[in-house]
Order: sequence, then C-alpha cells, then structure tokens
Amino acid sequence: MDAAQAVHEKFLAALATGRLPGRGDAPDAALIGLSRAEATDIFLSQLTSRQMDRLSRHLQARGEGFYTIGSSGHEGNAAVAAALRVTDMAFLHYRSNAFQLHRARQMPGGTPTWDMLLSFAASSEDPISGGRHKVIGSKPLNIPPQTSTIASHLPKAVGAAFSIGIARRQGMKDLPLPDDAVVLTSFGDASANHSTAQGAFNTAGWAAFQGSPMPLIFLCEDNGIGISTRTPTGWIEAQFRHRAGLHYIQCDGTDLAAAYAGAKEAADYARRTRKPVFLHMATVRLYGHAGSDVQGAYLPKALIEADEARDPLLKGAALMAEQGWMSPAEIADAYEEIGVTLARQAEAAILRPKITTAAHVMQSLIPPKRAVTRANAPSDEDRKAMFGSDAQAMDKPMHMARLLSWALADLMLAYPEIAVMGEDVGPKGGVYNVTAKLHQRFGSARVVNTLLDEQAILGLAIGMAHNGFLPMPEIQFLAYVHNAEDQIRGEAATLSFFSDGQYTNPMVIRIAGLGYQKGFGGHFHNDNSLAVFRDIPGVILAVPSNGRDAVAMLRECVRLAREEQRVVVFVEPIALYMTRDLHEEGDGLWTSVYGSPGDGARIAFGDVGVHGDGSDLAIVTYGNGYYLSRQAEKLLAAEGVRARVIDLRWLGPVDADKLVAAVGDAKRILIVDECRITGSQSEALMALFVERVPEKKVARIAADDSFIPLGKAATLTLPSRDSIVAAAKELLA
Amino acid sequence: MSARKTALVVAPGRGTYGKGELGSIARLHGARFAEQIANFDAQRRAREQPTVTELDGADRFSVATHMRGDVAAPLIYAATALDYLSIDRDRFDIVAVAGNSMGWYSALALGGAVSVDDGFRISNAMGLNSQTHGPGGQILLQVVDEDWRPVPGLRDRLFEAVDAIAARPGHALALSIDLAGMLVVAGNEDGLAALLAEAPPTPGRDPLRLAGHGPFHTPLMFGSSDKAKAELPPALFDAPAIPMIDGRGHIWRRFASDPAALWDYTFGHQILAPYDFALSVQVAVKEYAPDVIILPGPGDTLGGAIAQSLIGIGWQGIAGKADFMARQASDPILLSMGRAEQRALVVRA
Repeated sequence: MDAAQAVHEKFLAALATGRLPGRGDAPDAALIGLSRAEATDIFLSQLTSRQMDRLSRHLQARGEGFYTIGSSGHEGNAAVAAALRVTDMAFLHYRSNAFQLHRARQMPGGTPTWDMLLSFAASSEDPISGGRHKVIGSKPLNIPPQTSTIASHLPKAVGAAFSIGIARRQGMKDLPLPDDAVVLTSFGDASANHSTAQGAFNTAGWAAFQGSPMPLIFLCEDNGIGISTRTPTGWIEAQFRHRAGLHYIQCDGTDLAAAYAGAKEAADYARRTRKPVFLHMATVRLYGHAGSDVQGAYLPKALIEADEARDPLLKGAALMAEQGWMSPAEIADAYEEIGVTLARQAEAAILRPKITTAAHVMQSLIPPKRAVTRANAPSDEDRKAMFGSDAQAMDKPMHMARLLSWALADLMLAYPEIAVMGEDVGPKGGVYNVTAKLHQRFGSARVVNTLLDEQAILGLAIGMAHNGFLPMPEIQFLAYVHNAEDQIRGEAATLSFFSDGQYTNPMVIRIAGLGYQKGFGGHFHNDNSLAVFRDIPGVILAVPSNGRDAVAMLRECVRLAREEQRVVVFVEPIALYMTRDLHEEGDGLWTSVYGSPGDGARIAFGDVGVHGDGSDLAIVTYGNGYYLSRQAEKLLAAEGVRARVIDLRWLGPVDADKLVAAVGDAKRILIVDECRITGSQSEALMALFVERVPEKKVARIAADDSFIPLGKAATLTLPSRDSIVAAAKELLA
Repeated sequence: MSARKTALVVAPGRGTYGKGELGSIARLHGARFAEQIANFDAQRRAREQPTVTELDGADRFSVATHMRGDVAAPLIYAATALDYLSIDRDRFDIVAVAGNSMGWYSALALGGAVSVDDGFRISNAMGLNSQTHGPGGQILLQVVDEDWRPVPGLRDRLFEAVDAIAARPGHALALSIDLAGMLVVAGNEDGLAALLAEAPPTPGRDPLRLAGHGPFHTPLMFGSSDKAKAELPPALFDAPAIPMIDGRGHIWRRFASDPAALWDYTFGHQILAPYDFALSVQVAVKEYAPDVIILPGPGDTLGGAIAQSLIGIGWQGIAGKADFMARQASDPILLSMGRAEQRALVVRA
C-alpha cells in the first residue's frame, strides 16, 4: 500500500478504536498557557496540512500537481507559528506547510489553503511565486519564499536578525521588522551538517558571544534522516547543546503542547535576551522524502512502523481527547471534512490560469522599481564636517581607491540605509583602504567588521536588505567569492523571481579583483574570472577601469539598488586602485579630481566609454584591459593606426545597441579580455559582433586558461600592452 | 461525490426588507414556523415593542417605521433565519456562512454560534442600540462600470478624497462597508457633506445618502459598542457548528473558536471598524469552494454585491456582469431566496 495511505488509515483506525498513544511527560496545555481554542486551532491546522500532503500526491498522479515534498510528521511547526508573531520574519524549509497555514490564522482575510493549492497547481495566481515554483512563502505573513539549496537560507536569517539591532541603534523607523521582532529559520537535521548551515550557526554564535543582538531562532526539525541517510542518534544534541553563543532548547514536535512550550520558551528567550536560540524539535518523517521516494528500499520495516507510531496527529488527538476538546469521532469528522473541502478547492484551483509564455516566466527576474524617499541632501557644511582634512585634498587628482572611498562616504552620508560589511572594512579601512575612515565617520553599526566567512558577509547583506537596508558588502578578493557564490546565485538573485517581485534584496556587492598586481599575491589575490556572475539572470555586473568612472558608476549602482531594487556586483580592479600614470611615470593620466555628488557626467547603466574616434580599429575591453589598450592605442597611433578604445564598463548585461553604436564605422574590432578565455566576456562579444555586425573583422585576445602564478610570472598568461599591439597589427594586416 | 450541493449562505444586512417584502414573513413562514415567530414576538412584547407579526402584517410599508433600526433589524433577522431554516438540507450541504453588516448577527445564528432565539435577541438589541451614535450616517458610492468591472483608479481616488476630508478638523469620514461594486462610506454630518460635494464622479447613480442609517462600522459607534457589551453577555455565544467568515475575512472554525473572542469581535471591531463584505465572500469561496451561494431573504438586493465580489477575483471565470448573468441563466451559482424561481430550487418541497 502507498505509504501515505497507510499512515492515513492508521490514524483513522486509531480514532475509530480510541486507541491513542500516551503523551508521556508532555506538558498539560493549561499549564503552558495554551487555551482550548488555541490548541484546537493548531490541531486543525495540522490536520489541514496533512490532508494537503495527501492531496498533493493525488494531484501529481493526475498530472495536475507538481510538488510532493510533504510536511507530514513535521506538523509540530504549526505550534511554532502559534508561539510567534506575524511580524517575526520566518525563513522556512520545505516541510513547513503547517507553519504557514497556522501563521495565516493570525491575520484575518487570508486564504492560506487556496493559496497553497494554487501553488501546487503552478497557477499564475499563486500569490507568492506567481506559479513559478512551489514554495512556502507569503508577503503578508512575512515568510520570504525559500527554494534553497540545502540550508542556504540560514545566513540571510542571521543577517535579518542582526539588522534588527542595527536598526534600533540607528533609530531607523518603519522597517519591515519591528524593533522587538525575532527571526525564525528552520531546517532539517541533515541540513544542519551543511557547511552553509554551520557557517550560519557560527556567525550567530560569534556575534552573540561578543554581545551583538541576534534575536534569532534556529529551528532544527530533527526527523532523524536526510533522504536515505540516517543522522546518528544524539548527533544534533551533541553538536548544539553546548555550542558557544547558542542557547539550546529541546522539544518534542510530535506533541503539539510540547512543541508549543518549546517554541514559546525559545521565542520568549530570543525576544527578551536578543540572543540566538537553537530550538531542537523532534519530528518524524512520514512516508519518505518526496512522492517518488519509497523508504522501504532503505529503511527496515520496524523502523518505519516505529516512526509511524510517532505521528503527531495521534498525539494531537490524544491531547484533544484527554482534555475533552474534541472526541475521536469529532476529530475523524473534522479530518474528513477538511479533506473533502480541500479536494473541492483543488478542483477549482487547477482551473486557474497558468504561466504560458517565456516572457511571463521572466517577468519577475528583474524586481519592480520602487518609489524611494529622497536622499538626504547633505549641505556643504555637512560634507566638510564629515570629510574633515580630506576636504582640502579634494581639488587634487587622486587614484581610484581614494576616489572610491570618498564616493562611499558621500553615499553613506546621503543614504542612511546604506551599511557596509566585510572583512577588515572597519577601522583598518579594508585591505586597499577603500573603506578608509568610514568606520570613524559612520560608526560600527553601519560599517560592520565581519568574521572571516564570505557566506556570512553575503548572508548578512541579504538579510539586512530584507529589512530595508541597502547593504554594500565587500568581498576582499574575487577568488574568495567563489566559496560563497550560491548566496548570490541561489539566494540574492532568485528572490524576486520566486516571490513574483514581492521580496527583494537590493545591494551593491563590492569585490576587489582581477590580475596585474605588480608581483603580488599569486592566484587567489589575482583571480581573473568573472564567469560566475555572467550567467545569473537579473544580476548586474559592473567593472570600472579608472577612478572617475568608478565614482560615477558606483553612484549609478547605488541608484539601481535603491530605486530599481537590483542586485549589483561591482568589481574593482585591484591593480588600478593606486595606479596614477598611464604612459609614463608622473603623467598622472590615471588620476582624477573627485567630483562631488551631482557634479560631472553621469554614467548610466549600460553606457560604454569611448576614447578616440579612429575608424581603422575599435578595441573593445574593460578594466585592466582598457588601461593596457589605452597604452597600446598610443603606440599604434605612432604607427599611423587610427583606433578607438571602448570601455564596456557594464559587463552584465552588455548593452548591445550602445556597444555597436560605439564601434561605429570602425572596420575591425579587437576584443581585449583580461579574464580566462574560456567562459570570458570575449566569447559573448565575439558572438555579439558576428550576429550584429557580420561585415566587420573581429579578433580577440584574452588570458590563457591558467591560474595566476607568483612573482614576475604573474602576468605571463595575461594580455599585455605589447600583445595587444601585436594582435591589432595582425588584425590590420 | 454526494448528490448534495455544497453551499455558502450569506445573510443580508440593513435595507433589504422593503415594500415588496411586507407580509413575506407570514406568507412564507407563517405556517411552518409559527412557533418560532411566536418566540420572536414574545421577545418583542416583553420589551414593549411592536411584534414581528404586527410589523410584517402592517397594512402598508412605512419608511419612517419599517426602515428604522429597531424595526428593520428584527424583521430582517426573522426573514433571514426562517429562510435559512427552510433550506432543503438533503439537497444542500451548508459548508460556511457569512453576512453583511447587521447580517453578521444573523450569520452568528446560522452558524450555530448563538441560538436562533438569541440571534433575534442580539439583532433586536443591536437594531435599537445602533441608533446610539452621534449625528452621522452612510453614503453609498458605485465604483464599477455597467459590466460590474472596477473603474480603474476610482477606488483609490475615493479613498484619497475620504482621507483628505477625514484629516480636516471636525470632519469624521471613513470606509464603512466594502461591497465590491459599491463602497459605503460613513461619517459625521460635516464629513458626509464634504464627500457629497467633493467625491469624484462615479458611474451609474450619484452618491446616495442611506436613509435612517448611522455611521456604522466606524469609531463614531463607540456608544453602541459599549452598550452592546453591557447588554449582551458572552454567555450567549458558543463555538460555531458551521464555519463563519466575518467582516475581516477571518474564519471562525468549528471546535477552535473561543466564544469570548467571538463576542468581543462582534461587539467591538465589527461595530467600530470597516466591514469588508467583499473579502468575506471571496475568502469563503476560496476556502470552501461551494457549489452555490445561497442568499436568504428578505429581498435579493445583496445579490449584486455577491456577484461583484466574485467578479473581483474572477471566480470560476466570472469576469463581469455579462458572465455572471450567463452563468445564472445556465447553472446558477447564486440562489436568491427572495426570488421565487430561485427559492424553489432551495427550499424543501
């Protein structure tokens, strides 16, 4: 027999015979402040969740439903919902149907079962994802949708919890999370082992250990198994009972009163002390991982039966009967009625419209624009006071690192919601001084020195963005982002898509990167691949090549994040941070005078930079490649070649029309790409020019497919001024 | 599948017992529910009020008398409750109940949260006590076009006008009832006058001041709320036997509803804050997916608001009045007991 049916029949049989399990030492409902109406309401939500799981399987069998990972055995999370407020943001894993159904009970006017059925049926009217995915989530219920890789939603929960304390310190008002909110995040015992989860526990503990507010509940729904691999008995408790910075609470999620008691204790503790709690809730996974999983294939029958005997509905029924709140017959009646009602709703839900076009699918890749409050318009006096002695240096040409640091300061002065976070961004001012003096100027609440964990940095940014901040996280080196790329790829970039544009996490991620540092660092400080950002739908990738552009582009990036809610990656070429000269020592051509906000030309998203108007050759490049191409262009000019050099500036996505217009009447195009040839921008550019201007001759030069070595060998695999000149001549020949 | 059709029952509110309904209680229910009517009459008599039988049996309909709260409410309640009791339960499985405004008091009885007699007691008391308020009333404004589809932006413009007026000293004005196609706005005299003068043009008819109505569902009704809580004890309330959807769209579930909380909502929020009738219908159809919606008497005027609530969410493909009428002609989704031909489909033979 189908496992779901078996569990269902066992429940009905127990109700029919009245043979319900004992509740052991589970608490008396009245003693823990759980009223009849509350307890019964939780129980009804649990019954509803269970029937919904059964229905999802029937719908899938009919080809009308598309998701069968169920919540059966995890219905204790309805009691967790009861112990929390709607304003306590919840980042939930996929067995959380009962939580969402029950949280909806706190907010009149919702239609939680209908909404969930629309989601099962992938209807475009599904209010959370618009039919794009079966997710647990709701805008009014403060449940951002998660369809994460394992546990990848935990770092942002840490970030959201951290943001509450920062908002309070900064006196920020009208944010999504009230001052006294707590954040909940749930996951399974198997997921708790994931390095992303471990990083989140560590970050929360690390912050709390030194007194930073972290009102966060880690809800581990421990069903003892991950797909087919069992968690060693006692592992979770042994791991977390004595973990630094985390307060450990255990409860039995198979008994709704015990689950409520545990959740209440956790919520009260987190709210009162503003410290993180690890709520270890025992659950049971009834009928396998998903619809297709037959657990009899890998679990002994006795174990499956023992699990089924721990069905939370049985203990819930025992509680109801024991208190005289619902008789077994009434429970059977209510359970049946819920099932019949859901089936009727499902027939209506499957008729609702579906997504039928690619354009509709992609509608929410890019978040909607939003009306933002106007920036502070800091007066000259405010700026002078902030900049102090720097103000006197502002009329002198400066290198990119200094210009960026001033631009950041101006942005933070204008936009109080900006927060900067990263390794060593505080008093040290970052490895390259780009965040110099920000800590001194804006304080530790807005300039956050993080621990050494890129997932934590990006999670902090994503979580703070959920609470109305505009984060500008810094990743110290491009190579370091790779261990955390999923926080951008799987989390930040997908949020708008999976929430139909309702949830967003606008931010500007600053990353120091690319090669050519003079003999410094080796591969991990000179990584030259941007491929990781280029294929993520919706993400903007910007790479400035000089200080003046960098300032204008950073301001545009902040505008894109603030007004258009975009996730922006801003890669700063390290080798150009301190570069002053272009052709010869002392020419100062790579410096510029800082332009105050509002001064100078704006560089809009997609705008390319063009130097010269030669029609023999257009060199299309970015970053260090632009710098080297400018050197090459001078040498070529001396040989009579009339070239123009085009700085892409915006690599993801490239504005093809603007680029083709910039190439203009140049007959030949040389693409210069400092990144590894495989997967580099040059590939896309070759394709673009072949498609758009097939009459032009196109060639490229890019870095070899190698890692970067140390010392003088560091640039051997990269394009150089001379190799650009050579490639140009070859193309012109 | 059972041959019984599932039904949502929606109890009508004020303004539904009119000239055409005079005598209908006796005509439709006199024989079958004589005892129940006698109970209602006894309650009225004990309070030295004219009885339902007398009022329903008057020679002619008097606006001054029959539209007054203390007369209209018990008449409407009696007609609704007796119609409800007339529904053929062998053919209809009632899966949820809702109501409009004072129809909520009827819904309490329909759902079994109060007895039929106590429902009358509550409606009767509230009919009288809803006259306990300062000067003010309600205005009805249409926000849909001829096909009952929303006029783009009109709602927002109206709410902006209401908010702007309410911000003026001495002006009280707020949304009272959302009927989907119509909005009822309530306020004091200054607020209402300003709205009549400043409301953006509405399609169909001009904004209409509702005769005999107070500023229901606004904070101006605090006296009524206080009085209700003093006169009508929580002990009248029980958990419902059938789910009830209130004016916030909240579902009062079987087994899991706290009678004290229900009492508190009924005589607190329900009186003092907007009644979102459209939402209550929309929640009910989504969460219970009934085959039909039954509108008990008196009258059938709430039918338009029910249809417009369905149109608001495109329920079962009904996107406008034409769709709705076509559906009614082929396989009616709304059965109004105030219409003889539809009543025949609902009542026990």
